[in-house]
Parts: sequence; C-alpha cells; structure tokens
Amino acid sequence: MLEAITPAKQAGACKTGGVDDDGHRFMTGLSKTRPSLAPWRPLRATIAAVLLAIGLAGPALAQDGARVTVTGEIADSWCTVSGLMFAKGSAHHQCAVWCALGGIPVAIRDAQGALYLVLRIGDDSDSVANPRIARLMAHEVSVDGELLERDGVKYLLVDKIADDKGVINLTHDEHGIQPFGN
Amino acid sequence: MGFAQAAEPWGIPHEKPVVLKGRVIEALCHLKGVCAPDCGAGKRQLGILEADGRFRLVGKGQVDFAGAAPDLAGFCGREVEADGLLIENPAITLFFAQGVREAGSTAPFTPTERFKTQWEARNSAAPEWWRADPESNAIIAETGPLGIKGLLPQPKP
Repeated sequence: MLEAITPAKQAGACKTGGVDDDGHRFMTGLSKTRPSLAPWRPLRATIAAVLLAIGLAGPALAQDGARVTVTGEIADSWCTVSGLMFAKGSAHHQCAVWCALGGIPVAIRDAQGALYLVLRIGDDSDSVANPRIARLMAHEVSVDGELLERDGVKYLLVDKIADDKGVINLTHDEHGIQPFGN
Repeated sequence: MGFAQAAEPWGIPHEKPVVLKGRVIEALCHLKGVCAPDCGAGKRQLGILEADGRFRLVGKGQVDFAGAAPDLAGFCGREVEADGLLIENPAITLFFAQGVREAGSTAPFTPTERFKTQWEARNSAAPEWWRADPESNAIIAETGPLGIKGLLPQPKP
C-alpha cells in the first residue's frame, strides 16, 4: 500500500489529540509534523500511469485510512474556501442548506480550520444533494469514521455520528442571514 | 494539467486557472474501490484523475450554490478536459470547473450548467433556483433560516 495512513503515522500528524477507549484517534489540528510522503510520489505516479493504461485506475488505488473521531461544524466547502461570505454558524445555515442540496461537497470544519470532506455517512454513499446531510448543515458534531488523505483533501467516511449538538455557533446577530441578509 | 485561456478568475485565495486533463471517476470509487456502475448517477462526488495519478475533486460548477456532478456524470470513466480554477487552499484543494469537453475535442468547453437544466426539468424555471427549491424550503421551514427552530433574526432598526 503506497499511501496507507496508519495510526502510527497519523499520531505524529496532529498538534494535539489522543486515542479514546475504542481506539479512535481524536483529530484536533492540521498536520505540520507529518512524515513527508514526497519520496513516494514518483513511484505512485508511475504505478498510476500503468493502471490508467490498463483501465484499473479507480479501485486499484484503494487504501485503508486511519480510524478517527472528528469534531467540528458541518460546513459547505465552497463557501468556506471562497471567502465570498461568512460561512460559519447560524448566519450561514440557510446558505449551507442551499449549497448542500446544490451538490457542493460537505465537510466538517474543526476548531483549527481543517476541512474533512464527507463522502459517506453509515451505509449512505450519496454525497451529492443528500437531504439527510443538508439537514445537518452548521451543526456541531462529533463523528467516528475513516480518514483518507489524497492530493490536498481529507476525505472522511463517517461510520457514526456520535454527537450532534445542533447549531450552537450563533453568528447571526453580527453577520445576519448569509448570503444576502434575507 | 495546463494553463487555461478561458477560465474566469474569481479572486478566490489560492485560485489558479488551469485545464485539467484526465479520467472522470467518483471519489469513493477511487479511494476505496466502492464503485457505482454509472458513477452514482450524479449522487456521488466526482473528480478527475490526471495521468500522473493526482486526483482532483471537482467541487463547483457555474450555477450559483451548485456543484458540477451533473456535468461530469455523463463522462463517467471517460477522458475529459475541464477548464476552471484549481483552488489549493491549505484546508482543502478543490477544482471549480467552468467548462468541460471530451478529451481531444476542439469544440468549445461546455459551461458547467447542467444542474440548472436538470433542476428546471424537475421543477420549473425560477430566477433563483435555491429560493424555489422544494427540498431546501422544506428544511428551512422546519429548522428556520438560522437552523434553530423558533429562532428568528432581530428586525433591522
């Protein structure tokens, strides 16, 4: 496995964190000390090119990720990275619902600003315009699942929503209702 | 990946106009080998797998508040060229596809606007799909615009 993310590797990836009784690692920050995967990139590219040539590009690169617990706000990725509006909390709930139902990738943003893109919740693999996910927008949640990192994206396969506090980040008094104030 | 001529800059931090070239695949299939035969018929997040093995998640299309899955799903498993903005934000790397075409085609890029076409086919034409969307309106009616039932913003003085 070329880029398997083992718990041991991930343990060095967080500024802070820990492991709970079930073996789930708490993710609380972006990696700054993670061992570099750069030496693997040329080999990975070569193998990928061969796999592409024989039509096995998708499943052939499948990997196993790390077991993690992620805590943060469910946010739409576009509004968060574009900076076109205030994409946090109650002010952004309505806009986030629109984006989620429009098919914008949904992520969990942790306290350090890292985004974990949700590809699956339980057995539900619909990650585009899923009403179940749209109902959770701007909620503060803790989820257990599998983390896979690839080319600048932290993908999260959620096994269980361990806690859902609802919308607790009250930002509307200062920022109104995004995006247009109504 | 090459530099684009047509992509419209948006002034988004870390954006870079590029033409991505590669195969359309779904993210879950690429990462875990859990593959739907038709890329999930537009219900799964899709990306472009470049020849060097890099996978670029396509997170946005040209329609306001909408992604590009409807534009890419028809190319499932095929090689395409996509014109747009690669946004390499430290928190996440996303591609904002503005146009797509079959690889090797000399035709102009087709604007990534299929979400609107499909939405209007299911509903009816509306100047702002998001305010007319039955699903969105049902959720917001239930939760309120702030996401907390019964909580409404203070009237502006």
